[in-house]
Amino acid sequence: MIEVNGLTKTWGQIHALNEVSFKVEKGQIVGFLGANGAGKTTTMDILCGCIGADAGSAKVAGYDITEEPLEAKRRLGYLPDVPPLHLDMIVEEYIEYAARLRKVPRTELKKRIDYSLDQLNLGDVRKRLVGNLSKGYRQRVALAQAIVHDPDVLVLDEPTEGLDPNQIVQIRELIRSLAGRHTIILSSHILSEVQNTCDHIIIIHKGRVVSQGTYEQLAASMQGGNVYRLRVARNADKLAGEVRPLNGVQNVVTGSDPTELEVTINGEPDAVLDQLAAKIVSGGFGLRELALKTKSLEEVFFQLTK
Amino acid sequence: MGPVLTIAKRDITAFFASPKGAALFWFFLMMIGLFFHSFISTYVELEQQAPAMGGQAPTLEQLLRALVYNSHFILVLLIPGFTMAAFAEEKRAQTIRMLQTAPITPFQIVLGKFLASAGLIGMILLASAVYPGFLIKFGNPDVGLVLTSYLGLFLLMCSQVSFGLWVSSMTSNQFMAFIFTLFGLLLLMILNWIAPNITGGGVLETVTKYIASTEHLDVFLKGVVSVKSVAYFLCFIATFLFFTNVVLDSQRWR
Repeated sequence: MIEVNGLTKTWGQIHALNEVSFKVEKGQIVGFLGANGAGKTTTMDILCGCIGADAGSAKVAGYDITEEPLEAKRRLGYLPDVPPLHLDMIVEEYIEYAARLRKVPRTELKKRIDYSLDQLNLGDVRKRLVGNLSKGYRQRVALAQAIVHDPDVLVLDEPTEGLDPNQIVQIRELIRSLAGRHTIILSSHILSEVQNTCDHIIIIHKGRVVSQGTYEQLAASMQGGNVYRLRVARNADKLAGEVRPLNGVQNVVTGSDPTELEVTINGEPDAVLDQLAAKIVSGGFGLRELALKTKSLEEVFFQLTK
Repeated sequence: MGPVLTIAKRDITAFFASPKGAALFWFFLMMIGLFFHSFISTYVELEQQAPAMGGQAPTLEQLLRALVYNSHFILVLLIPGFTMAAFAEEKRAQTIRMLQTAPITPFQIVLGKFLASAGLIGMILLASAVYPGFLIKFGNPDVGLVLTSYLGLFLLMCSQVSFGLWVSSMTSNQFMAFIFTLFGLLLLMILNWIAPNITGGGVLETVTKYIASTEHLDVFLKGVVSVKSVAYFLCFIATFLFFTNVVLDSQRWR
């Protein structure tokens, strides 16, 4: 649905983007993760045709944004980092203006406006002036204008910025509910948000894509997928001594908790785990937990952007 | 054409929703009213004195010309107010992103903005038509002359609007847009008078005079709709709308 190939952009001496490439499949929610100034907004601006890239191409729904901008933009909803609100308009009027700009057919106009206001719970404020609304409401109005023309692709630049915790949860749920219908790419510097909302994560650092994949893939790739956490009822120290000489076990560390072990495996994990389990059962250690140790996204992120 | 009208409609609505709209209309109509009052007094006075002094009584056409000239001058001061927000404000508030990501060409945006300002100028001229209306009701001026004068004024204002849009497209600061538009328009207005001084006669003077805006308004005020002058205004409008389009388009590449 979205195809970005080798985007490069420099602002004078600053390399904002350097060979950024990624792909987003239809119906996915993709999180674009990066520190401030990593190039998130620049990528999104280029993807939406607001600025041009020095090199590379961006395709939305099969249409190149510079070659066939009108076709691409017809299928695109964009929520920029600064909400593009006309403060002197009434909410309803503003959404209608957005719909007309995006060429929503006249017969569907009312239906689409009601739908997008409904989706964002803006029914109560539809007759109020945008300028008189609080920040959370404004953000929702800005999101409503992005979905009013039922775009295939939604590009959301920090959609939950400046909202209170309840609203953040609401917006997250909304984004997830939109997922099947639209392909969504959202940027954020809030890790938990991306971890909770997105199927697929792209981590960008200093204008380069440093890693991409599902959260599990990212976490696994960071540690080779070979550290297992083991918790037993008793005699953890003794177990450590027995596990260490097993074929395929690289290292065993006793955790801070005396019942916990961390086992690093180099080799075919299935075979080693079988041996490990057999050892525990036969030795009567009382297995409580055996799981692949996952890193939090924070750890992955810090490791990648160091 | 749909999106063009949508943009124009939004701009016109926004204009009247802000105090700016009321202020500009009020200021213009007030000034023209004052001028009209003062011209009528002078006219009546001269008409009464003329036979006694053996001179010609002034004509209503002369009165009309004075009125349109003054409208023109006041409008030159106001046009920057009409156009300054067009792009500068959209850029400052980042609402330009909506236009940039909508499935429309930059030229449609420019055209929408132009239609909005030209429409407002049309409205303000229509409102000021009450004064020539008085002349027609209580006197018998040449109605054709009234119409050509207004056509000339409207075309001139449209050309100034296109210049104002161009300036506005280059900045995100309304005040800068105002000042530079005003500066440019005043220069165009006085070009006619200073042409002999800055060129030293010859072809250069003719060319400079042709560029000057007032030169072409004069033709309309004589009751003539000449191809030369209409072409001047249309070319002027087209040129600056094109420039605006270029500016908008090029901003994507910076």
